[in-house]
Amino acid sequence: MSIMQYNGGSVIAMVGKDCVAIASDLRLGSQAMGISSHFEKIFPMTDRVYVGLPGLATDVTTLHHQFRYRLNMYTIKEEREIEPETFAHLVSSTLYEKRFGPYFIEPVIAGLQKTASGDFKPYIAATDLIGCLNFAKDFVVAGTASDKLFGVAEGLWEPDLEPEDLFETIAQTLLNAVDRDAYSGWGAVVYVLTKDKVIKRELKGRMD
Amino acid sequence: MAAASVYTPAGFDFSNEVRNSFLTERGIPLPKATSTGTTIVGCLFKDGIVLGADTRATEGPIVADKNCEKIHYISESIRCCGAGTAADTEFTTALISSNIELHALTTGRKPRVVTAMTMLKQMLFQYQGQIGAALVLGGVDATGPHLFTIHPHGSTDKLPYVTMGSGSLAAMAVFENGWRPNMERAEALELVTAAVSAGIFNDLGSGSNVDACVITATHTEMLRNFVKPNERVQKERSYTFRRGTTKFKKEDIRSLVVSEDVIHTGEAMDTS
Amino acid sequence: MDVSFAITGKGYVIVAADTTAARSIVKMKTDEDKIKVLSPHLLMAYSGEPGDTVQFAEFVERNIRLYHIRNPHGLRPQSAASWIRRTLADSLRSRRPYSVNLLLGGYDTSEHAPHLYWMDYLGTMVEVPFAAHGYGAYFALGLLDRYHDPEGSLEDGLATLRRCIDEVAKRLVVAPGQYKVKVVDKDGVREIAL
Repeated sequence: MSIMQYNGGSVIAMVGKDCVAIASDLRLGSQAMGISSHFEKIFPMTDRVYVGLPGLATDVTTLHHQFRYRLNMYTIKEEREIEPETFAHLVSSTLYEKRFGPYFIEPVIAGLQKTASGDFKPYIAATDLIGCLNFAKDFVVAGTASDKLFGVAEGLWEPDLEPEDLFETIAQTLLNAVDRDAYSGWGAVVYVLTKDKVIKRELKGRMD
Repeated sequence: MAAASVYTPAGFDFSNEVRNSFLTERGIPLPKATSTGTTIVGCLFKDGIVLGADTRATEGPIVADKNCEKIHYISESIRCCGAGTAADTEFTTALISSNIELHALTTGRKPRVVTAMTMLKQMLFQYQGQIGAALVLGGVDATGPHLFTIHPHGSTDKLPYVTMGSGSLAAMAVFENGWRPNMERAEALELVTAAVSAGIFNDLGSGSNVDACVITATHTEMLRNFVKPNERVQKERSYTFRRGTTKFKKEDIRSLVVSEDVIHTGEAMDTS
Repeated sequence: MDVSFAITGKGYVIVAADTTAARSIVKMKTDEDKIKVLSPHLLMAYSGEPGDTVQFAEFVERNIRLYHIRNPHGLRPQSAASWIRRTLADSLRSRRPYSVNLLLGGYDTSEHAPHLYWMDYLGTMVEVPFAAHGYGAYFALGLLDRYHDPEGSLEDGLATLRRCIDEVAKRLVVAPGQYKVKVVDKDGVREIAL
């Protein structure tokens, strides 16, 4: 039993047409015993940058606070909001700083990046527990159900999904993957980010 | 107890070390970092260096990234391929690239490959192999083309053709068979492609596409996804769900559009 | 072998903990109070490594008290929980960490709502409607899932608590004999005899 599976939990992010989605389960366990079905692992960092932190629950809270602190320092110094790509590098360096005593978290970042023309470009990324960035054009996954999520997402994802279709795809991917993972599940939450709104939906999932 | 400080010194932070070894004592094994099985190669030709790499990143048996970049920028005419612990190759090359740029600005000269090689080997030796970066460093400088391999413990080799990573044996077999001194650019590029392809198809840790980089005295050409022998075909069927398939308990929509109603009150200012 | 439970309801939190102090296989004491009153509206049940528990609970108690003296207002449950979690997380990174699991129940007098936090020695914290620590948790969580009512009266809450205690007494080999039960609501903290 690895420390990454101690509390359980999974996160997935997907790219759509001018939108992104990030979703996670809501379980917090202590090994096999379920403690809470309302443990949120996805946090808004700005209006258009969201971060999912699956892994050891104590580090979920610690890192969320750490990122919030570093982000506030950035916003004060730069006098502007952070872009998702910059935030991904902030996450990456924060984790690599602890290369020889890591946090047990594999963050997933989803956001909309402002382009030179003023439009928003979907951006997703994931890192391992020591901060190796993985940019992807389609989807990224992390957590105890990551191997299952890889399989389902590979089959269901397709390019240029509209926000509503992206919601269905990411929700079904997550729900079906966590049903095959003992340590994830107990409800789920999906965020869909578009250029003018953020939709948060709490899904009906299996409670076993 | 860790005090909150705005100032964070440079270098690694070991503050979690005590906790993590405490958890290990309780019988919970620590997870392994993402290690990349890789094929990276480099070879010398008439006018310079060709570097090559596959684009697969793995986490144990899982393919984590199907098209990652393993040829890292050091300077305009020096590049470095990385194998081993993915984060280590990424951050080590980024650090050295940064230091090389500063070095170039202080000296006012174009950086040399040996300089980068020495910086890398000294850093890796200092960390006694704990930084798991296995590198192929190549470039052209005032003294001509140079090609090095750097091992995680800090040892280096200077050779006319080199391979590293889990696919190094397959790739080296191709080099041993096909490499000749003073090859033309096209020949060298073809040989590098063949060597990386040997890794892609015969080593499980390597896969997807071939990245290549041709460095000559005057020009550096980065050939990202030079060959794509494993393109995914169009899916025969669409698997989108009918809208409304997924039941949800709660919805919360937050509008990011700031709308403002301007209500004029009173009379307009008399500007006559 | 400590067992502790906590249940929220309409405007209150019930916190219960067994009263046995054991060393190895011997019961040393059967009237130990393992629920600290941290402030007029805050309760903390602690369990874990003997020694660490009392040391840590007293450390928290004095610091919360100090905050009350220094500031015009005391810490709200959310803030107190966050500070305690941080203290545990920092302690885990020290040479000799505290091995303490906590249930923190409080009544927020500003928003007039009860709050309950489950915390373990790793610094894991989550707000929950009901919680349990120790071997009792394996028996009680199922019952709480079935019988807990977030809008229930204090009598309903105590009835649910009694079910949990009875089940533990019936099925757990090392079941404790007695429990101390404390309630926090808008009127503050008080002890209740079951």
